[in-house]
Amino acid sequence: MAQQAFVQSLRQIVGDANVLDSDVHLQLYQYDAYLEERRPDAVVFVHSTEEVARVVKVCHDYGVPFVPRGGGTNLSGGTIPFKGGVVLEMIRMNRLLEVDKANLRARVQPGMFNLELGNALAPLGYQYLPDPASQKAATLGGNVAENSGGPHCFKYGVTTNHVTGLTVVLSDGAVVTLGGEAPDEPGYDLTGVFVGSEGTFGVCTEVVVRIVRQAEGVKTMLAIYDSIEKGSETVSAIVAAGMVPATLEMMDQLVIQAVEKSLSCGLPLDCATVLIIEVDGLKDDLEAQTEAIERLCLAHGAREVRVAKNDAERALLWAGRRGAFGAVARLTPSYLVCDGTVPRTALPEVLRKVAEVGEKYDLRIPNVFHAGDGNLHPLILFDWRDAEQKERVMKAGMEILALCVQLGGTISGEHGVGLEKMDAMRLVLSEADIRCQLKLKQAFDPSDLANPGKIFPAPLEVAHVQ
Amino acid sequence: MSSELAAFRATLAQAIGEDHVLAAVESTAPYAVDGVCPALVLRPGTQDEVAQVVTACAAARVALVPWGGGTSMTAGNPPKRLDAVLSLERLDRVVEFDADNLCITVEAGLTLARLQALVAAKQEILPLDPPASDRVTLGGLVAANLSGPSRLLHGTARDWVLGLRVVLPSGEQIRCGGRVIKNVTGYDMNKLFIRSFGTLGVITEVTLKLLPMPETRASVLGLFPTLAAAKAVLEAVQASFLLPEAMDLLDPAAAGLLLPALGLASPTGHLLATAFSGSQATVDRQVRDLEALVAEQGGRGLTLREAASTQAWQAITNVLGSVPPASLRVLIQVSVPIGRTAGMLASVSARAAEQGLSAAVTCHAASGLLRAALLPAPELPADAALEALAAATLALRDEAVALGGSLTVQAGVPAFKARVDAWGTPGSGFATMRRIKDAFDPHGLCSPGRFLGGI
Ligand SMILES: Cc1cc2nc3c(=O)[nH]c(=O)nc-3n(C[C@H](O)[C@H](O)[C@H](O)COP(=O)(O)OP(=O)(O)OC[C@H]3O[C@@H](n4cnc5c(N)ncnc54)[C@H](O)[C@@H]3O)c2cc1C
Ligand SMILES: Cc1cc2nc3c(=O)[nH]c(=O)nc-3n(C[C@H](O)[C@H](O)[C@H](O)COP(=O)(O)OP(=O)(O)OC[C@H]3O[C@@H](n4cnc5c(N)ncnc54)[C@H](O)[C@@H]3O)c2cc1C
Repeated sequence: MAQQAFVQSLRQIVGDANVLDSDVHLQLYQYDAYLEERRPDAVVFVHSTEEVARVVKVCHDYGVPFVPRGGGTNLSGGTIPFKGGVVLEMIRMNRLLEVDKANLRARVQPGMFNLELGNALAPLGYQYLPDPASQKAATLGGNVAENSGGPHCFKYGVTTNHVTGLTVVLSDGAVVTLGGEAPDEPGYDLTGVFVGSEGTFGVCTEVVVRIVRQAEGVKTMLAIYDSIEKGSETVSAIVAAGMVPATLEMMDQLVIQAVEKSLSCGLPLDCATVLIIEVDGLKDDLEAQTEAIERLCLAHGAREVRVAKNDAERALLWAGRRGAFGAVARLTPSYLVCDGTVPRTALPEVLRKVAEVGEKYDLRIPNVFHAGDGNLHPLILFDWRDAEQKERVMKAGMEILALCVQLGGTISGEHGVGLEKMDAMRLVLSEADIRCQLKLKQAFDPSDLANPGKIFPAPLEVAHVQ
Repeated sequence: MSSELAAFRATLAQAIGEDHVLAAVESTAPYAVDGVCPALVLRPGTQDEVAQVVTACAAARVALVPWGGGTSMTAGNPPKRLDAVLSLERLDRVVEFDADNLCITVEAGLTLARLQALVAAKQEILPLDPPASDRVTLGGLVAANLSGPSRLLHGTARDWVLGLRVVLPSGEQIRCGGRVIKNVTGYDMNKLFIRSFGTLGVITEVTLKLLPMPETRASVLGLFPTLAAAKAVLEAVQASFLLPEAMDLLDPAAAGLLLPALGLASPTGHLLATAFSGSQATVDRQVRDLEALVAEQGGRGLTLREAASTQAWQAITNVLGSVPPASLRVLIQVSVPIGRTAGMLASVSARAAEQGLSAAVTCHAASGLLRAALLPAPELPADAALEALAAATLALRDEAVALGGSLTVQAGVPAFKARVDAWGTPGSGFATMRRIKDAFDPHGLCSPGRFLGGI
């Protein structure tokens, strides 16, 4: 049988223990942090670029699709093997290959967790800046594939701004190196287009990232508001005043209450919203910046501003922010994380309208998000066992995305399209735009084996027939 | 003129107006690319007109090259074919300036200098500072991925472009990205067109992220007797907490071209120029720290603030433009890992000297990017001069490639380019690049032959 011969070829490459195809195992790989499920035909643990190349070559020879999987924390169904086939488990490729301080680069395997990289660099006095809130469990490969952002991306940019080179296995098994340590490689910026390609261009097996010195100083503060409107107005006011804080994060009352229940960070339970604002850089003006921001917050209606007095207080605030998604999970069996982006000044309006959507569909929608980036994450709470409710949730989610687009924004700021937002693509892109993106997909993956069936909506003709 | 060409001209004249279809030799000659003069120069006035022109060119299989400010047209290989130049000079409107969201959308033919003046009125800046900002267009800046000294702190076009509108070689109009600062709606198509050198279509509109204008700016210039001393300061800064906006290092030849303008009298030496921007408190502290480092290494220091600092940087940025023009001058750009930059500066001088050439070398010392002008001795016969230029360039390319970098030719006469490919040997990603080019431009009509590997 072809299936047996195929699995046998995989075993020959990686060894028996590294191929899983029992029911129990496959079941573990049929979901990620999104809401859909599909079982793979096999799971293969890979350990080196060479192994990945050989496994992918076998997939290519048998015409079997493959899906790379890092931490499985993506929120858009990116790791669901939609058309079956092989899940490539990248997590064993987790070594830090080189820290090159002289050239301000690090060379990392894709299965390394974002936080582990940070922990390895910190004692040397360096840092890798993109810091998704999921950094404990999200891998560099996943960050690259999703072009992930994080709380510190307002000032420092997202993953793409910090990745300078990649080693990639293409879907025919060819190994290519794109970019590297030196800047401005001649030719098209394939590193740039690979970042954010959601596993559909091939498998990344090595990443070269930019590292920078740790900041000399940092100040973190918490601004507390009795009105969401006032809080979100402050975000624009800070930027309008010419300040570029490292972070501008926002959490609303439901989220705060959930965080307090699970983590006890000392957040006030009775306020409408809080902003977590951090400034960093040379220590000479941090005090002045902090005071200026404090004044601005108060002038814009904050009832109180607390400045973290030490590392422990600062860590507590961040534990709350990073733990927010997890904490909200205690409120409800499931939730849909929306990920729309709007121009910053539209925040007050979009938040008001999101609340209206919640009322219309009778759903609770707490918010925790990257306010400085205009990147919202309304969390629509529901119970997945209730089909009728799930349908309302999907409608509400789509309405929120449409709102973001109407206000000049887009349907995904950092979580990707995956399976989740294929149908929302047409809210933003024309048919010509979609065709153009598909050309790029075909140039990277002519045989359509790399994570197929994602990102792109069904062609219009078909949709009309239905 | 053939009847086909006449019919084609008539179509174009109808689309964009007779006045904007230039065919007389005296009008087209200034648009020659590497000695190849186009038969036509087309000047559409709107983005839709660009689409009409490109559609007509595609139908008639006319090869075209987009033209912004023309300052980069000496880069790359000579075109395989060039029938028409598509000039973007009339597309110079601001589409939308959303100062509150630090975002501006402009047509591709607007110059960088005009954009800067506009956003400055709202206390904002676009932190990209390539040379010749009065002529560089936003489309050209994006297509050529130009950068200047402040890439150290602020990066390059790829870090500031939020969205593009592009007319594909088929004539189809598409949008990439948008106007929000985080956007993963499908692939990051902006990256495909940034540094595509006009080979994948014509960029007609650019949306950029902006920054609040910093409170103040200052620079410390240090003139050092040896490269080692300048390098010691550079490395001390890199190991410190300081956050300079720019650090440019000039060899004595390049520095010599500047010193009079800066009021630094000879004797010359290696010049390390460091810029700081931000709040008064941080700039003052950094200036103090740097002055101390310069003195420690026996350098002569000069601190400039505000307008004086800005002027100095203009001179530094454009210094190779002031290399005495000579008919065989070659301009190269070398890219190496950051820590190798200063060492490469010395190599450029050494390889040039070996071949009896004079060289002026400058670099973004903490960014891994060098630029050099190479000049043969005036008395050398042309053939020997070209041989020497090619030998030095190829030796430097080998050295850069061995370090993981590259060397590209920014300007050189066609006889030089016949000896030295402008981009070097493509890497393992090339097969994918070729497929991309073929998918977007199946008839090879957009800037054919000018880019890497014959693309
Ligand atoms: C609690 C929580 C908080 C989050 N916070 C943030 C946040 O602040 N910012 C943010 O941007 N996202 C956030 N996310 C989303 C998610 O963590 C990111 O998308 C993350 O980068 C995914 O990494 P991963 O290793 O889990 O990738 P996976 O989920 O395993 O995979 C994601 C995609 O990447 C592809 N992929 C994985 N590895 C490779 C590889 N080596 N080569 C090619 N393709 C590969 C997969 O095929 C898939 O399409 C959050 C998620 C959770 C659950
Ligand atoms: C003396 C001198 C020194 C220089 N030093 C530096 C330096 O230090 N750093 C640096 O980065 N650069 C340097 N340059 C290069 C110069 O700054 C750039 O060439 C210039 O900015 C390019 O912009 P432009 O508008 O003139 O583009 P053009 O020269 O008109 O075009 C550049 C490329 O882009 C294509 N193109 C133009 N417009 C479009 C469009 N709308 N759509 C699609 N393709 C398009 C063209 O076909 C061409 O391939 C130097 C140039 C000179 C003359």
